[in-house]
Amino acid sequence: MDNIEKELRTVIAKLFEEKKIDLVIGYTKGTLPLVSTPIFLKEEKDVDKLIFDVSCGNNLVKYLKRHRIVNMKDTKVAIIAKGCDGRAIVQYIAEGQIKRDDVLIIGVPCEGVVDPKKIRSKTNGKEVSQYRIEDKKIILKGNDFEISLNKSDVLSDFCLRCRYPNAPLYDIFITEPTKSVGTKDEYEKVNEFEKLTSSQRWQYFENEMSKCLRCYACRNACPMCYCEDCFVDQSNPQWFGKGTDLSDTIIFHIVRVIHTAGRCVDCGACARACPVNIELDLLNTKAGKEIQERFGYTPGLDPDETPAMAAYDAEDKQEFIL
Amino acid sequence: MQYKIEKNDISTLIDILASVYDLFGPVKTDGLTKLARIKSASNLDLESFNTDESAKDIFFPQYETIFNFKDGEIKNEFDKNRPIAIFGIRPCDAKSFLILNKAFNNGGVNDSYWNQRYTDAMIFAIGCNRPSQTCFCNWVNQGPFNKEGTDIFLIDLGDDFMVESCSSKGDDFLKNVSKITLQNPNPGDLDKVNQIKREAEILMSEKLDLAPLKSILDTQLLDSPLWNEISAKCLSCACCTYLCPTCHCFDIQDEKKPGTNQGSRVRMWDSCMFSLFTQEASGHNPRPTIASRMRQRIMHKFNYFVENFGEIACVGCGRCVRTCPVNLDIRGIIKRIKNEG
Repeated sequence: MDNIEKELRTVIAKLFEEKKIDLVIGYTKGTLPLVSTPIFLKEEKDVDKLIFDVSCGNNLVKYLKRHRIVNMKDTKVAIIAKGCDGRAIVQYIAEGQIKRDDVLIIGVPCEGVVDPKKIRSKTNGKEVSQYRIEDKKIILKGNDFEISLNKSDVLSDFCLRCRYPNAPLYDIFITEPTKSVGTKDEYEKVNEFEKLTSSQRWQYFENEMSKCLRCYACRNACPMCYCEDCFVDQSNPQWFGKGTDLSDTIIFHIVRVIHTAGRCVDCGACARACPVNIELDLLNTKAGKEIQERFGYTPGLDPDETPAMAAYDAEDKQEFIL
Repeated sequence: MQYKIEKNDISTLIDILASVYDLFGPVKTDGLTKLARIKSASNLDLESFNTDESAKDIFFPQYETIFNFKDGEIKNEFDKNRPIAIFGIRPCDAKSFLILNKAFNNGGVNDSYWNQRYTDAMIFAIGCNRPSQTCFCNWVNQGPFNKEGTDIFLIDLGDDFMVESCSSKGDDFLKNVSKITLQNPNPGDLDKVNQIKREAEILMSEKLDLAPLKSILDTQLLDSPLWNEISAKCLSCACCTYLCPTCHCFDIQDEKKPGTNQGSRVRMWDSCMFSLFTQEASGHNPRPTIASRMRQRIMHKFNYFVENFGEIACVGCGRCVRTCPVNLDIRGIIKRIKNEG
């Protein structure tokens, strides 16, 4: 990883020097161990603040539209892109949200990001104060402990089933594209879940959704939730109740799943943002699987392909229409 | 007066409390520690840091019915049958109740829904032998062993708990509790308490004096470009405000059952970080940007609340630091503002 950061900083410094960019959306060290934070870098002198490692979980593409919309029309923007960030950019292009030339994509080889919830469980709730990566191991140190774990034990589930660790489109790639750490079948969890009875599945969703605080961190962290006027924020008419009544909460989540079906790039931003550990990926992955099986469409790979939900083909399977 | 009780006696204490009170305590669930109704000490988690969600939901529920209506008639259905007790919250959450009480019960405002739950409640707080990296209660005149807002305060001594009454309610409780032996602490126990406190202090982040904050916010920062800079990465979700023990803004709505003349008037938490929070019927929104909403959140905590009630509306619990999806750390915001002074 040290090489990646070194090359990343050199490349960005050169881009600033050559006046090819005005702004870089990247990651810097956060205020807590194993937590990075987004940074909007505007000057060459700050390049050493940039980092890239297992703590860089945020999907930065969320900021792409905002920084274009908010008084940055003439800014040349570069963005650091893992595989999932890269896919979100491709999807933005396919959906006509940005043009390919609007952004300079700097691909980074992603070997997965950590899931803080898994770390908390592995350390029994004790806080990590330092960490280091040694090949396939991660060593966590706290006030009164030091443990060595397999990296794969603390990587996000999204990364463990990721098939696209490198941005599908890029202008510059830092070091070299990497192989996926995704060893698991991406639909494994969904396939198991499909075997349950409908009442068991409903029970599961009731249980998960009843934890929801309606903070909308999932929606707001999601790169594909870019509607300028989300149905949640409308009051005339108001489409559903604002409280924690289960029927209202479930409506929010179902509408979000339907609206991101065939668009979700499986980055895990939603689940990572959730403060109450709701398993937010299951329904999204199921929707993605349906789109994949019916229309052979995987979002975020080809900027020229019409998204499944925007396309019609007389040959599309329609057996689900009663 | 301080007493010592054996740790084994906690289960008896919980049994006594559960028989009289609607009792809440921290329990582990879904990888988090949450406050839940408890009937016994079996699931009690007194080892973790402060609970992942704050304690405010117990007295100020996220979603509650104010009254029901049917065919033009109104029926108040408030049904609290037993007083509430909370066992094992941390000093920051106990203090937060005093702050919320200033908002809900201050002479001008007399919120009966808050009062009915909070006024006769018993609060058992436990000191923080091991504060978290995200704790900054020492910035807001608190500390890991602060007793404000508690009726009975406990300190974990390893095999025993030090128990101290901090209110007349607490005095009465300890006077009448006969099934537990209240021992007088020996000098060694008091030394141990001091040592525990010293060790906890070392773990706390360096203290910052927030006294100058109000005047900086009040006089220099209303139209500052600083808010754009501070809020650049904010996603405008409500993690910070909904997990905050002192944020208390709410919305009130009528929820009618379709096709009938009956329904409920309900109130639910709302968040200044949402654009809908200030959306006016005309279509105008006085706080249309994330920067303007962030300014409101910071101003309310560190300026307006101080103006209205004489203290900062933050207890330094660190939940907003811990859960912000983009690690927008309020401690950094505070330092940045202080540097403007």
